[in-house]
Amino acid sequence: MAVSWLSALAARGSVPVYPAVGPAMADQVRRLALEPDLELVSTPRLASVLLVAGVVPSSADVALRRVHAQLPRPCGTLWYRSRPFPELDHPQVVDAPELIPGALRELHRVVLHSPRDQEPMLLPDAPPAPFEGRGDHGQGGEGMMGGMPYGRPMAMTADDLRDGLALDAIDFTLGPFFRGLPPGLVLELRVQGDVVQQCTVQAPPYAEPVAAPFLQALERPVPIVALELARARHHLRRLADALDLAGLDALGRRLLRAAAGLVLGQRLRWLRPMLKGSGLLASVGAGRGVLSDTQASEIGGSAARAAGLSIDARMGDRGYAQLGFEPIVQPRGKEVAGDIRARWRQWLDEIDQSLRLAAHAADIDAHTAKIGVVEGPGGRLATDQPLPDTGPVLETLLPGCEWNQALAVIASLPLAAAATPGAEAGA
Amino acid sequence: MDLLILAVIALSALALGLLVQRPRPGAALPPWPARTTYLGGGEPATHAWNRFHVRYYPMTLLLIAFEMEMMFMYPWAVVYVAEGLKALVEMGMFLAILGVGILYAWREGALRWQ
Amino acid sequence: MNEVLLPTLVVLSTLLAGAALVAVLDQAVAGMIAGRPVRGLLSATFARGMLLWLRPDSTTEHPDALLWRLAPAAYLVLAALGLAVVPWSADFVPVRLPTGVVLWGAVEALATVVIFLEGWAPNAPLPLLGGYRHVAAGLSYILVSMFVLIGVALPAESLSFDAVIDSQQDLWNVVRQPLGLPLFLVVGLGIGVWGPLRFADAADLAGGTTAETSGPRRLAWALGRGAMLVAFSAVAASAFFGGWLGPWLPGPMWLLLKMLLVLVLLVVIGRLLARMAPERFVGLAWLLLLPLSFVDLLWAGLLALYG
Repeated sequence: MAVSWLSALAARGSVPVYPAVGPAMADQVRRLALEPDLELVSTPRLASVLLVAGVVPSSADVALRRVHAQLPRPCGTLWYRSRPFPELDHPQVVDAPELIPGALRELHRVVLHSPRDQEPMLLPDAPPAPFEGRGDHGQGGEGMMGGMPYGRPMAMTADDLRDGLALDAIDFTLGPFFRGLPPGLVLELRVQGDVVQQCTVQAPPYAEPVAAPFLQALERPVPIVALELARARHHLRRLADALDLAGLDALGRRLLRAAAGLVLGQRLRWLRPMLKGSGLLASVGAGRGVLSDTQASEIGGSAARAAGLSIDARMGDRGYAQLGFEPIVQPRGKEVAGDIRARWRQWLDEIDQSLRLAAHAADIDAHTAKIGVVEGPGGRLATDQPLPDTGPVLETLLPGCEWNQALAVIASLPLAAAATPGAEAGA
Repeated sequence: MDLLILAVIALSALALGLLVQRPRPGAALPPWPARTTYLGGGEPATHAWNRFHVRYYPMTLLLIAFEMEMMFMYPWAVVYVAEGLKALVEMGMFLAILGVGILYAWREGALRWQ
Repeated sequence: MNEVLLPTLVVLSTLLAGAALVAVLDQAVAGMIAGRPVRGLLSATFARGMLLWLRPDSTTEHPDALLWRLAPAAYLVLAALGLAVVPWSADFVPVRLPTGVVLWGAVEALATVVIFLEGWAPNAPLPLLGGYRHVAAGLSYILVSMFVLIGVALPAESLSFDAVIDSQQDLWNVVRQPLGLPLFLVVGLGIGVWGPLRFADAADLAGGTTAETSGPRRLAWALGRGAMLVAFSAVAASAFFGGWLGPWLPGPMWLLLKMLLVLVLLVVIGRLLARMAPERFVGLAWLLLLPLSFVDLLWAGLLALYG
């Protein structure tokens, strides 16, 4: 009796949801962060509902099962435009985005009030490795530290990148649904202390569909207003991701709200002082995550411009030339060209520039003139262009970075953008 | 008497902290898949406990020197006004010597993440 | 019996109410920054706490179960010990210790241990990283705190908070020793694992030491954090804002108002400033904050002799 009164009280609060983001779903999940009574939590332990958005590729199937198993039972699962696991009897499926918050609230209410329906475990209930060894505590194996005590080996010593002290290094895979990484990115990391020693990209991040104006611009002239507003929205969302990593999730939501409600005529003058004042740029040191010139020119886009290279597909476009467009390039210091801060500053500068260009373009109704090539928000887009692969770049940039710098490097690089129309782009 | 009150406060706070956690001594452990560590769907290759490379260990030596100085400062603060300028000068000398230690540690890179 | 019961009740109820208040303030400030003020704050906060109370505990493959149980409780104990030495009026102090400042120093140092244990216990990579990062910051800000508190104790000629408050009859220490409060606030952010110094529960570690905790254990940890912030605010109010001193209103009311002021400051700073890199904070603490605390001590010393 008292328990149901308490659970009625608890059900009135915000719903903790863990989003497992599949391909082409990142922007829609970001929009859910703005819902007043949903809370996107960073770990499944806190969640009462798992939201699986998008059709998860079969390579990430085991990872999804692991995340599903880590939610404390009782819990619920909502499948949004996804393919539920075949073992589930009655999966909750939703197709329309506006129905997601209501379905999540309903699942949360069911979880709290009638905990009889247990979500099944989709992985076998067995220890990760048999650990009945020779000794009393499961020990026994090669050397002093061999064997699998309680199912896993102990960490072994390894050389260190930064100094000569060789202590233990732990190996783990940071999976496709980690909230601090772009969705789909699987990193196999070796970490000693909190410095990344080795990094292997096992799976690249899921390609995000580009906003519709950019795809249209590949085929025909498009009003520059639409292009530049879409570009500003994209940069705002990436900056919001960086703010989430730095612990400023309220400020991140403010940016997401600004991105969702971005209209012509806004200048967002509060953005730069709030970001600078928050110390986001100061929180990562200078000179971290520096791209070499070849890497920067390969990646292109704002990352290249942040490295001081003046590469922009908008140069030479008559429509932009009418507006007096000049690509913004971060100045090259003695050694700190193209580091994390420069890329974030570049996004800030480009947001300002895009809003200015949009206001000017609306006055004279400017359109793009070039077709076949367009400067997308992440880089140069062309028809039949292969997706850029940031994997090798990560494998060279991350070793030697501390944990927060490593995640900031990943948050500052552009994500792979698909030049093909996907499901609903996030414009 | 005051120490008794302090002990009672500590013990009751401990009891409160333990009760809030609703420990269920006889509860069964969740199944193995529910007990894997959260890595976004990834998997750890080893246990997490390891001989962690603590990169700030030179800084801890500097801290120990200052901790000894703290031990001196506690009684010093109580008798300071009575002792006068002499006490200030003595503490100043002590701090200056330790300040040289900080300078040395800084130049040697003890404050950088090794 | 009343001598033992009343102080205990006062301390524990202040910690509980204060921790809830911290949660409410945090949500309010977050809502204001995000641009959408939250309606029904009190019920929303209470509902979140109730949800954590009702959800089940989760565990990992081979944690240190005893330490995982004790760490959040120990955090609450430390906060209670810290709050116990703060006087509420000229007559009432829960525990009258002649060396209250020393006890608070011990509380700050042990808080680092407790936060590390919370990261150690689950035997998982992300919490462990969070715990070890916090120790770096904890060892760095502890000295700043000690020098600032010694500076406050100099005019009082005593290490008890009663004398510290007495010495502020004419002028509060926040005016008399201007460097003291900003430095001390940095320490408060650290022991409360808050804002720019939130290394242990970091967002880039998916919640850090709390990445594997759920349910009541998570509630206990949040309670401990809020309680530590409340205890810190009481100590800061006593050391810098004159504690219970003040006209017209009774002593305890003044103390609560000043604690509220410090709490609001901490919550706003926590929501506005990004989390620093641990290495940068260690450098900052040893190279900027510690020399500033030397200057503060020198200033306090000269003022105590000749002021």
